[in-house]
Amino acid sequence: MKAQTKQLINDGLWTNNPIYIQVLGICSTLAVTNLVLNTVVMCTALVFTLSLSSLTVSLLRMFTPRNIRMMVETLIIAFYVIIVDVLLKAYWPQMSENLGPYVGLIITNCIVMGRCEACGISNPPGKAFLDGLFNALGYTYILLMVATFREILGMGTFLGFAVPYFSSEYWDKWIIMVMPPGAFFMLAIVTWVFRSIQMSREENKK
Amino acid sequence: MKNKRWFPIAYMFVVTACFSAVIIGFAQMTEKQVKANDARAFEVAVLKVLPGLYDPNAGAVELHQRFVEQVSKPTDETAGAYTLEQDGKIAAYALPFSGQGFWAPIDGVIGIEPDKKTITNIVIYQQRETPGLGAEVAQRQFCDQFIDLTMTAGAKPVEFRRPGEPLSSGQVHAVTGATQTSIRLEKIINDALNRWRSKTK
Repeated sequence: MKAQTKQLINDGLWTNNPIYIQVLGICSTLAVTNLVLNTVVMCTALVFTLSLSSLTVSLLRMFTPRNIRMMVETLIIAFYVIIVDVLLKAYWPQMSENLGPYVGLIITNCIVMGRCEACGISNPPGKAFLDGLFNALGYTYILLMVATFREILGMGTFLGFAVPYFSSEYWDKWIIMVMPPGAFFMLAIVTWVFRSIQMSREENKK
Repeated sequence: MKNKRWFPIAYMFVVTACFSAVIIGFAQMTEKQVKANDARAFEVAVLKVLPGLYDPNAGAVELHQRFVEQVSKPTDETAGAYTLEQDGKIAAYALPFSGQGFWAPIDGVIGIEPDKKTITNIVIYQQRETPGLGAEVAQRQFCDQFIDLTMTAGAKPVEFRRPGEPLSSGQVHAVTGATQTSIRLEKIINDALNRWRSKTK
């Protein structure tokens, strides 16, 4: 079990990272990473949704008929997403407005469906939960990295606080970084860097 | 039992019923809070269109206080518009408007000067138009066009023109790529203004 957990952590965060290896959930990566705070909330919502829906899919796997498993999975995912959406609307309306439709769109985030299909439906609950959790965390740290660069370069702030130098007049703000094209640039660079590191490590192992 | 033909259908029904029940429960628990948030969004919108009332640094409680103390409720005379009174005279009107947008209702408030001809500002506080296209109508870039806009006397007090076309008085540029939202919003605003004008005269 210990070795298996280690394997799950390693897979989710590194060797099978949902963003730069599986390339899933890119839509939300591009959309919500212009401010770090938005990203943090979005990622928290995804960690919650992904780990719990994977767990629930796994719990019901013995009863779910194979031919309707996709419907059931979508239903379970939608269930958790709606809960997040309702909670945000009630207790953090400002954030709910900032994230707009993207919270609802977690339902169609390929990572969630992908992990439920790949792991949740065929593994015991404990493993499914950990798989979901670490895949979500793998998504989270990449998104936070992208968001940090975008916010600092584009707005000169981090979590809304002014960053020395970048918020001063010496730094000409790269407005494009907080606009949609900036997300493509950052994501491409991050994918490139991480894949290169991974490849060179594999080379060394040989 | 699992091999029976009816099983998948029955299973789907049961699972859906269970999850829906939990969500309905959740929604009812938070309903009060959501309504309070909506009411607050409306109050803030009214404060924003009336001159000199809104302060971005003020907290939620203070803004509510200002709304209660300084804004007068609509009367028959103002035909549904909230008013700001100074020295016993009406200093500005805030006329709420709402109607069906492209996807969902659009709600907003128009601020009008005492001459009933000049728009002071417009705020759209509730909409679910297409993000990046129709939703731009709620952004300042679009709404700022209404600041100090003079309404025309005709059937269309405010007219939306295609982006890039020259503007004369009472005209603003519609949002690029959001034809449906623009058409509907133009109608919603003009209907509200016409109704208000016919009642206040």
